[in-house]
Amino acid sequence: MDYEWNVAINKAIVNNAPKVEKILRENPYINDLAADLREKKLDVLNNIDKYIKQTEESVLRSGGGFHLARDSNDAIDIVRKIIGDKKNIVLSKSNVLYEIKLRETLASEGRDIWETDLGEYLVQINNDMPSHLIAPAIHLTKEKVGKILNENLDKSIDENSKTEDMVHSVREFLMKKYLAADVGITGANAVSADSGSVILVENEGNIRMDTVLPGIHIAITGIDKIVPTLKDAFNEAIVQAANAGFYPPTYINVSSGPSSTGDIELKKVTPATGPREFHLILVDNGRSDAIKSDLMESLLCIRCGRCYFSCPAYRLYGKDFGTSPYTGPTGIMWSAIIFKEYDKSEMCMHSGGCGEVCPMKIPIPKIIEKIKFRYTG
Amino acid sequence: MDANVRERIIKMKSMVFENLMESYIPFPMDKKLYSSWTESLERNKKTVLYTSYMYQISGILKRYEKLFPKIYRVNMPKKLISLSKFIIRPSDSELQRSFSILNNISSMLKKNGIDFGYLYEDEPYSGAILLESGFLYEFQKYGEKLRDFFHDRGIEKLITVDPHTTNALNRLKEIINFDIDVVNYLEIINFKGSGDYVIHDSCLYSRALNMYDPIRAKIKNAGINIHEDYLVTSREMGFCCGGPLSLISESDSEEISKMRSESLLKVNNNVMVMCPLCFENLSPYIDNIKDLAEVVS
Repeated sequence: MDYEWNVAINKAIVNNAPKVEKILRENPYINDLAADLREKKLDVLNNIDKYIKQTEESVLRSGGGFHLARDSNDAIDIVRKIIGDKKNIVLSKSNVLYEIKLRETLASEGRDIWETDLGEYLVQINNDMPSHLIAPAIHLTKEKVGKILNENLDKSIDENSKTEDMVHSVREFLMKKYLAADVGITGANAVSADSGSVILVENEGNIRMDTVLPGIHIAITGIDKIVPTLKDAFNEAIVQAANAGFYPPTYINVSSGPSSTGDIELKKVTPATGPREFHLILVDNGRSDAIKSDLMESLLCIRCGRCYFSCPAYRLYGKDFGTSPYTGPTGIMWSAIIFKEYDKSEMCMHSGGCGEVCPMKIPIPKIIEKIKFRYTG
Repeated sequence: MDANVRERIIKMKSMVFENLMESYIPFPMDKKLYSSWTESLERNKKTVLYTSYMYQISGILKRYEKLFPKIYRVNMPKKLISLSKFIIRPSDSELQRSFSILNNISSMLKKNGIDFGYLYEDEPYSGAILLESGFLYEFQKYGEKLRDFFHDRGIEKLITVDPHTTNALNRLKEIINFDIDVVNYLEIINFKGSGDYVIHDSCLYSRALNMYDPIRAKIKNAGINIHEDYLVTSREMGFCCGGPLSLISESDSEEISKMRSESLLKVNNNVMVMCPLCFENLSPYIDNIKDLAEVVS
């Protein structure tokens, strides 16, 4: 095993796993929310066409644009049509953006496009790929980060710099990008069908910037992120954050259409201070087929990333266990759904910890067994 | 992943499946020898102790895995393999240890008033390796054959002694109409013991079969002091011995075994396992390692 990875993963496990256990023990209502959320998400998957239609109607009602993308190319074409020749783009951390290869495609067209989550920014300037769903730079030690920043951003930062100074340096750089951005592109933790709202959980504050400062906000996510109601969407945010070890989350953002005001005679006028345009792009990319298959429960995943730290294969192989950004136990399922890649499932030892800790009670070991069957059957 | 790995796995699947469908064993082995741990149990009983040869062959499985690529490369006909040097035998000490464990389990079952027999050299293998390798179609087909085998002998209940067999038979209940009762010996006996141990849980017992808490309760009631650490021994964070990975990569499998051993030894020097394969994978790195059935009576 790579020494640097061994150090990084062990630190991450020690820092995260007991914290999540304590959060859930001290806040038992979160497991109740998770159980309820599972039922709601199952209902959506079982009636996906109805919920997509309802989401579309809700987004249009709120003054936003709604788009359904069959696959990655379709999604990127929709983005191109929305943004036209606008060049300055900021991104929030999103696995779906990686999935459709948005950043590399738009960058190759000469656009100035930046990840604004600190971990994703580090991955971007290191020409790397994320190693964890919610902690993309988990494979980088502090010393390595210092070296990367020195080479790519700020000569005053090096391996011996304080973490606070590293964060400050990135903040200074990104602040200029937020202010110059024409377009902010985010993912979504949940999308509520009844209100057409996008919910985003974060701690850094970058998503607030991405969704408010640019004139156009585009949220791109999978159809699996739809939940029936805004209440369910908030519940998903809480369950996701707690199982990721961030409770309470620093920020939960809600975007329901473009910015608006009713301050003059209570007449709703849009735009106000924030974006003048809001667009939701729901991506299929194999998800509809998966809903009809024996992989269906995979789509219940809320991307908390807890399963990674209970998995011996992830400890050993890191981001090679899966197809980035979909790594770890949940990534084996998502690599199968999105990329039709089954081979990495053979690295799974069926240790079973992933299924134990999954807040959505996805039977991950049994699903991986079925993916193994696809590989060798 | 290397395309050769896929080819090797598929080849192994067809060899193991063919062997099982023909002779109820995954590879050539001396069934008479492996069933000679007892002579005192009756053959014709509705309830039987079912070893599936797991304790007896655990010591040679790794050697078979090492040998497999050679068999695969020369593409040797199955009949020749059966007759050749490819029959591997465990050492006397490995065999005696497994016999001693099985005799202790048998003795504890009797002490607990349980009446059972044994199939001796007629005993078939469970098919666990098919399930655990993702060969679900083959597992189902062999499961149907296995069910008919037990039906033909009037067997109504199987007492299993290891997690792999217990899990495989329970999964058959989900997949086909496997209408034979399956119970693991740990579920039906109480025992006495002593000492201080850190438990390396079998992944299958603790998580797949939901036996984490009941097994701990029995061990504690037996008088054994268990040392715990959330990051090492909890149901959520405890992890594999590395064994299942050996078909893909022997060195990766050993790395997991070593990693697991090191974490267990930070909790206590005495390690207790409940699975013959876990013992094989961890024992190279742990001096004081015992199977539960070597500690209790």
